[in-house]
Amino acid sequence: MTTDDGILREVVLITRPAPAGPPNPLDALRDVFSSSVGMATYTASTFASLIEQTVSYAVSTSVNAALDRLVPVIADAIIERIDLTDLVIEQVDLNRIVNSALDSLDLTQLVIDRVDINAIVAEADIEAVIDRVPIIPLANYVIDEIDLPQIIRDSTSGIAGDAVSTVRKQGVGADQLVARLADRVTFRRRQRKLEAPGEPESLIDRFAADASTTHDPLGDGEKPGDGETIGNEGTST
Amino acid sequence: MTSFREYREAMANGTAIEAPGPLLPSDAMAFQGERAGFVSRTVAAGIDVALIFLTVLGTVAVFWMISFIIDPMTPGTPLTTSNDRVPGVGIMIVYGYFLNWAYWTVCWATTGRTIGNLVMGLRVINYKGERVRWVGAAVRAAFCTTFPFGLLWVIVSGANRSVQDVVMRTSVIYDWAVTIPGFGGLKLANPDGTRPKE
Repeated sequence: MTTDDGILREVVLITRPAPAGPPNPLDALRDVFSSSVGMATYTASTFASLIEQTVSYAVSTSVNAALDRLVPVIADAIIERIDLTDLVIEQVDLNRIVNSALDSLDLTQLVIDRVDINAIVAEADIEAVIDRVPIIPLANYVIDEIDLPQIIRDSTSGIAGDAVSTVRKQGVGADQLVARLADRVTFRRRQRKLEAPGEPESLIDRFAADASTTHDPLGDGEKPGDGETIGNEGTST
Repeated sequence: MTSFREYREAMANGTAIEAPGPLLPSDAMAFQGERAGFVSRTVAAGIDVALIFLTVLGTVAVFWMISFIIDPMTPGTPLTTSNDRVPGVGIMIVYGYFLNWAYWTVCWATTGRTIGNLVMGLRVINYKGERVRWVGAAVRAAFCTTFPFGLLWVIVSGANRSVQDVVMRTSVIYDWAVTIPGFGGLKLANPDGTRPKE
C-alpha cells in the first residue's frame, strides 16, 4: 500500500486457529432442540403432502367420472330448452363478424384459387346470356369502329371510280412535282401556303352524313337525323 | 376509341357517333381543301376548252347541215375555200370565246366546278371559302378566257394562285366530294348546295 508521503509498504496477514474453549451445554441443548423441531416439521409437511395428493387424486377421479356422465346430460337438456339459432341472431353482431371475416380475406384471390371457373362457365347457360346481349347495336358499333363503309368504298369503288381517282392522284403528284421544281429554280425555301379558306365539300360531307345517315344503329326502328340534309356550304347568289 | 357502353349511351341520347365518312379514298383526305397546283388546273382547263372546241365544231356541223335544208340547190364547195354554208372563222372564234365564258360563269357560280374541275377533283371558291357569286364568276370567266396565260402564275406563286386568283381573290382547291355522275355511284351536289338524297 502507498502512504501519503509516497512510501510503498507491504501488509502481511497471518491466520492462526483460535484456541478451543470449554463446550457450552446450553448451545448443545439448543442445537438438539432445533434439529428435533426441523425434523418434525419436515416429517409433518411430507405426510400432509402425501395425504393431499392421495385425496385429490381420489376426489378428482370420482368427480371427473361424475362430470363425464352428468355434463352431456345437462348440456343436452339445456340445448333442448334453448333455440341456439335465435340466441345467436339476437345476441351476436353477425354483420360485424362477417365484415371482419371479409376484410381479412382476399375474396377474389380466394375464388381464383379455390373455384374452378371453367367448370362454372361450362355449366352456364351461354345462350341465355347471348339472348340478353344487344347483338344489332353491338354489330353496328363494330362496323362504326372499324369504319367498314370506308373499307368497302376503298375496295369496291369500281373500275371507273378507280380510274378517276388515279387521274386525280396523278394530277396531285404532278402538281407537287412542278411546285418543287419551280421552288428549286426560284430558290424559294418556304413552303407554299396551300391552306384555302372554308371547308371542302368532301370533308363537310362527313358532317352531312352524320345528319342524313339512314342506318339504324340501335336496331330499334328509330333513325337519328332520318331525312335530314345539311348544306355543303353557303349558298351562292 | 369509343367503348360500347359510351356508344350505346350516345345513341340513346340521339348523339351522332362516328360518321360513315366522306366518299373519298383514305389516302386522298390529306390534301382536300388545299389549293391545287398547275398541272391539275391546266388539265381541267384543257378538258373544258376541248369540250368547248367540240361544241363549236358541232355547231359548225349543224349549221352546215341546216344550210342544205335551207338551200339544197346551190352546189357545195369545200369548207376551206368557201364560207357560204358555215359561219365565218372569226364568228366561230368569238362564239367559242363566248360559249367558254358562259360555260365557266354558270359552272363556277352554281357548283363551283366545270366538267374539267369535276374530273380533276377541283372547285373554285371565293375569299370566304364559299362559292363565287354570279358577278364574280362572270368577271373571272372573262379574265380566264381572255388571258389564259394567267394560269402560269400558279407555277411561281407561293400559294398556287393564278393571276386571276390574285386579282379576284379566288382559289381553286382540291375537293373530291363529287365526281362524274354514274362513276363509282357518286352523285353531284345539288345546285343549292345540299347533299343529294341517296
